[in-house]
Amino acid sequence: MGKMSVKEELIKRLKEAVVSGDPEEVSKIARKIIEAGIDPLEAVEKALVAGVLELGDMWVRGEAFIADVVAAADAMKAGLSILKNDIAKKGKSVKYLGRIVIGTVEGDIHDIGKSIVATLWEASGFEVIDLGVDVSPQRFVEAIKSYNPDVVGMSALLTTSMLKQKETIEAIKQAGLRDKVKIVIGGAPTTEEWAREIGADGWAPDAFSAVGLVKRLLGIKG
Amino acid sequence: MARPRIEVLDKNEVLEIHWRTLSVLSRVGVKVDHAEALKLLHSIGAEVDFNRKIAKIPEHIVKEALAKTPSSIRLYHRDGKQFIELMRWSTYFDVGSAGLYYIDWRTGEVRRALTRDLAEVARVTNALPNIHLMSTALVPSDVPDIIADRWRMYVDLKNCTKPIDTGAFTLEGIPDAVKIMASILGEDNVSKKPIMMFAACPSSPLMWSDLTTQNLMDCAKYRVPVHIVSAPQTSATSPATIAGTNVQVNAEILAGLVIAQFTRPGTPVIYGVSPTVFDQRYGTACLGSIEVGLMCATFTQLARFYGIPSAGYIMVSDAKTADSQASLESAFGALIAVLSGTNIAIGAGMLLEENGISLVKLVIDNDIAGLALRFGRGVLVDVETLAEKIIEEVGPGGLFLKYKHSREWWRKEHFLPTLLDKKTTDMWKKSGSKDLTTVAKEYVEKILKEHVVEPLPPDIEKALDNTMLEIAKRYGIEKLPQV
Repeated sequence: MGKMSVKEELIKRLKEAVVSGDPEEVSKIARKIIEAGIDPLEAVEKALVAGVLELGDMWVRGEAFIADVVAAADAMKAGLSILKNDIAKKGKSVKYLGRIVIGTVEGDIHDIGKSIVATLWEASGFEVIDLGVDVSPQRFVEAIKSYNPDVVGMSALLTTSMLKQKETIEAIKQAGLRDKVKIVIGGAPTTEEWAREIGADGWAPDAFSAVGLVKRLLGIKG
Repeated sequence: MARPRIEVLDKNEVLEIHWRTLSVLSRVGVKVDHAEALKLLHSIGAEVDFNRKIAKIPEHIVKEALAKTPSSIRLYHRDGKQFIELMRWSTYFDVGSAGLYYIDWRTGEVRRALTRDLAEVARVTNALPNIHLMSTALVPSDVPDIIADRWRMYVDLKNCTKPIDTGAFTLEGIPDAVKIMASILGEDNVSKKPIMMFAACPSSPLMWSDLTTQNLMDCAKYRVPVHIVSAPQTSATSPATIAGTNVQVNAEILAGLVIAQFTRPGTPVIYGVSPTVFDQRYGTACLGSIEVGLMCATFTQLARFYGIPSAGYIMVSDAKTADSQASLESAFGALIAVLSGTNIAIGAGMLLEENGISLVKLVIDNDIAGLALRFGRGVLVDVETLAEKIIEEVGPGGLFLKYKHSREWWRKEHFLPTLLDKKTTDMWKKSGSKDLTTVAKEYVEKILKEHVVEPLPPDIEKALDNTMLEIAKRYGIEKLPQV
């Protein structure tokens, strides 16, 4: 084996910076990658996305903590914002696996779980539109109309607000949009049974499972 | 940092117990069933009745003995490099000692312990980060009784690198143990870098038997750490009251201390207790009772008052199997030990009226010890931990997770138990809905399958084997179990 090429070297370092959750280092290397004329799409896939996914695997194995994953995803975003410009300049665009709208349901202002899921979906190659917290059924319906997403995700941390997930699905049905989207739910009090009961398409017990869940629902391999 | 501490007695109460003890020693005295020790006590000014074998020890002798006693002890790992330091408020956890029965983790069967069972306990202990000492936990029944005490040390040394809490139940026990230690770290290091401590137990009330006095004096002669362990039963072999038991047990321990220090000044002594509550409903001596916690805490205070390292049997449970009682009694004990600053908290893995070792309990106790030690570390308060800067940066409604401060301090601030379940209900169900006992059993199996104990250097191992063989040969024992 010969010496590592400049490209391989930079992509390797970019991935390492993502894994260690260092946004400054990621930005620095991302600029170098542009200067070196390396294909930015390849850098996104092989370093940014791969780095976050590697950390996800480490979390599953108990070798990393959630804060490490979130930091990696944050570092990934820093890199993406720089590389995106270069991708656009070259007349290309980032190819997303799909578009997801996410929010915490009405009456619930819990942000953490929803944000982690959103971050991991982004990190796995989805385009995510985060509606924030305390999102009414009507706002979910409007978001489906204006963004035309493949998936809608609803989070609830309270047993009381959990009921809003049901109400939101009803509202989506009444608006005649139910067949246009897959609906997934999550949050501490929710269960697989609850998801079935309210007519959601899927449920995940934790953020990483949520990645696999939407991939399955959209028929994406890996 | 204000370390969390408990002191059950106030200063005046400690003094009162001390004065009453001196009074008991000089007026009532102790029975010492050992001619040489009696002569020694007589020679230094004790009032000795050689017929009744009673020695009344005056106050000034006790004070002199206390002045000769070291205030800290280092116990070494068998590599002669790592050590634990018994002093101040530090607490180290130790496996329960000298059980006759092994509670087999595979089957739950309770049976007489074998050499291979003790080897299992030693290997598992070697892998547990919060259990710092290995005791000669079991008395193997597959070797003749006459060498079982030394055989236990040998089995421990072959399977665990940590310091060893042991004792002799033969007159030759201590001199032979010294030979065993010499084969590991050399003769010069036997007392310089002791890798074992030896129990010598007075018999409550107020007696020192022939054998234990001999063991005590042998430890002094070789200047190896002697762990005096008094084991009263409240209302049976000591007063029903805790303060009364404090006085009597203190007298027993100080009498031993006098014998040790006048045999050889500077003998390292550990002030140890195994107090029990005599449960008059069943005639049982109970170690898991909450009053045992009070007694360990108060004896620890007395030891600290004298400036002597302390030890207590505080993690033994009265449960017969590794159930909820086993965990809750040991959890109280561990926390009490850490908060009181008992230097050695003994009893991890022990059940069954102080007579059985359960590896399931031992690995759970490892988590319990970790929790107690974490509590004992208290709360660090400084500019960085107060985190005002980060609170400002994150602001209302923000999320702390992605910040370096969170990543760094989450690790530093929290103890992560190995076995206790912290998963979501769903994850727990998916991983088999296992209770703690099941998880613990699987962990034992994993350790025994995967953990490798650092081997002894070949020349040292050979020297150790030869020492043990010579001891066995002296008794005409040729066939020994595989270790």
